[in-house]
Amino acid sequence: MTTTTSTTVTLADLTRMLRESAGEEEGIDLDGDVLDTPFLELGYDSLALLQVIGEVQRTYGISVPDDAVVDAETPRALLELINSGQGSEA
Amino acid sequence: MPLTADSAVIRRLMVRPGPAGEDRAPVPASAAAVSAVLRAFGRSPRDLPVRTVVYVGAHAPDPALAPEHEGFAVRTASAPGRALRLAHQELHDGTADFALVAGFDEPEAGTITVYAVKRAAEAVADGDAVLGVLDLATADPDAAPELTPLVHGHRATDPGRHRLLLWSGRDEQDEQRVRGELLPLLSGLHHEAFPALPTVVPCGTEPGPVRGAAVTVAALSAAAVHKARAVTAKRPRPVALLFPGQGSQHHAMAAGLYGREPVFTAAFDAALSHMGAEGPRIRADWLTDGRPLIPVDDVRRAQPLLFAVDYALGRMVIGWGVRPTAVLGHSAGELVAAAIAGAVALPDAVAMVMERVREAVKIPPGGMLAVAAEEHRLRPYLRDDVAIAAVNANQQTMLAGSAEPLAEIAQALRADGLTVVTVPATSPFHSPAMAPASRAVEEAYRDIPLRPPALPLYSGYTGELLRPEEAVSPRFWARQITDTVYFKQALESLLAADDMLLIEAGPRQTLTAFARRHRAVRLGASAAVPLLPGRPGTAEADRQSVLTAAARLWTEGHTPSPVALSALWTWGAGPRTAHETTAATPRLAVVTS
Repeated sequence: MTTTTSTTVTLADLTRMLRESAGEEEGIDLDGDVLDTPFLELGYDSLALLQVIGEVQRTYGISVPDDAVVDAETPRALLELINSGQGSEA
Repeated sequence: MPLTADSAVIRRLMVRPGPAGEDRAPVPASAAAVSAVLRAFGRSPRDLPVRTVVYVGAHAPDPALAPEHEGFAVRTASAPGRALRLAHQELHDGTADFALVAGFDEPEAGTITVYAVKRAAEAVADGDAVLGVLDLATADPDAAPELTPLVHGHRATDPGRHRLLLWSGRDEQDEQRVRGELLPLLSGLHHEAFPALPTVVPCGTEPGPVRGAAVTVAALSAAAVHKARAVTAKRPRPVALLFPGQGSQHHAMAAGLYGREPVFTAAFDAALSHMGAEGPRIRADWLTDGRPLIPVDDVRRAQPLLFAVDYALGRMVIGWGVRPTAVLGHSAGELVAAAIAGAVALPDAVAMVMERVREAVKIPPGGMLAVAAEEHRLRPYLRDDVAIAAVNANQQTMLAGSAEPLAEIAQALRADGLTVVTVPATSPFHSPAMAPASRAVEEAYRDIPLRPPALPLYSGYTGELLRPEEAVSPRFWARQITDTVYFKQALESLLAADDMLLIEAGPRQTLTAFARRHRAVRLGASAAVPLLPGRPGTAEADRQSVLTAAARLWTEGHTPSPVALSALWTWGAGPRTAHETTAATPRLAVVTS
């Protein structure tokens, strides 16, 4: 295993931030197989996503392209975008 | 002649007053007779549309007959034929929405023929059984116009289009067996036969509780049916319709249904037919492949088009035989909810939209922001005429106001780390900046007949079930322009009443997303289903999305009409003259030769 200086955002991190952004308490099912579920189906519209992306940028010091909101329709796509974007920025 | 220029007869009844078997004496056209006409179809006059007129077609009407009877306008004409023509004229002048035309001594002495007549596009939109349309080409004005069959579009199948395949079984085994019957049909299918397959398999049997559905094109149909997941439907949850407002619009929204779904098409055209000279311009801007004259985000396009699209989608779902239990609209969508719930007649609802637009454009430009924060967090930032415009969902609040202070507030919010999105809107709706418009429309709304809704309507302005006294208050509707929309609270009230299947009848999936953030939907007690795609797409994507929603209704345990659904892959609006012209040509040839 190689050690990298960059942090990787995991699904667990993303799920936590998604929960916070929706202002939801317990009882929300984000634990199932959400990786490939479209954000819209999870109840995240573009504003909620923008907020999560903003949160990622602030917490991890990662820059995410503005159109990520349009391009990333699922948590998997967003994670890939975040983590790859970080590589190219570094 | 387009459907919107026709008048449809939706009921016809012959009444023979007096004892049977005796010599037939002419029936006097008296007040008592008008009372009988108002009750001819077994409905209480109170349940008749607001602007119902009675036409008396009689050679010698009772001179004592008043121009108003039981609150309805009564007009007389010297012959039944003239009465029908005048009724048609009045329906299309817009002073009446429904005409009861009584032909005295028609077709013979001692008999009254009562026709219930309305504008043809609205009859189709409302799902009325149309007996025929009035053919007014007959030269003799006294003669009763002929009824010709209503022709709306034609059968237009295309194996490349998506369609629905629905099937069911009494139990899981039975479902497997039915699916097993369907699969070989699909794998060896001749392409052209695909649209002609029955909507529901097996046909001839009541649908069972175990349900399967596929939305597919011919080439992929076997695979789609094979991998579809069967669902055991329990008690189907009642349906509530959600109507989105400004912010959800996009160019050519729902256009994939126009000319491809008959009820949507008729209802859309009916709504636009009440927009006067703007109607055709609005339609042209909606459908253009190039640049619209006025962009869709402009209030002059966004509001009329959203109204027409939302309304037409609502009518389409009702046309499937799915009766909504409740309605809820966001902002301008509340007027659609009012029209669908029968609180206001379609022409009046359209007049209210257009009045609102006329006044809104006089207000100095402003805008709206969506902010990912709770209402209380934003209050400290408010100043000048910027106000809380809408509380949509957890962590989603909208602000509105004049352009300059709004831009400054946006900057301050962003500086504090809040996420802010500019909503495509040119007017500062739901802020005090709109006060002059609100006052002006209130004046105009006083002339509009309002009724308590016939369906429960949840209001974003009270966050609760609309009360009858609010429904009939011009002020209540006028103040919607300046007041905050509490969509979150209204949805909360709706979902507290019962577990619901929420259907978003409008473009994009804004309200679906809000609903999916609600606890009841998250936990699966209620569910939210959009009719249209989340993002603008192709015409086929619009239809595919609608079919997917219909499939969802089926697996929920509802039984939408298979015939109505099949229009989505078998119907096309087209020139009504397609076969008429070929029939007419030889006749013309004879005349000129």
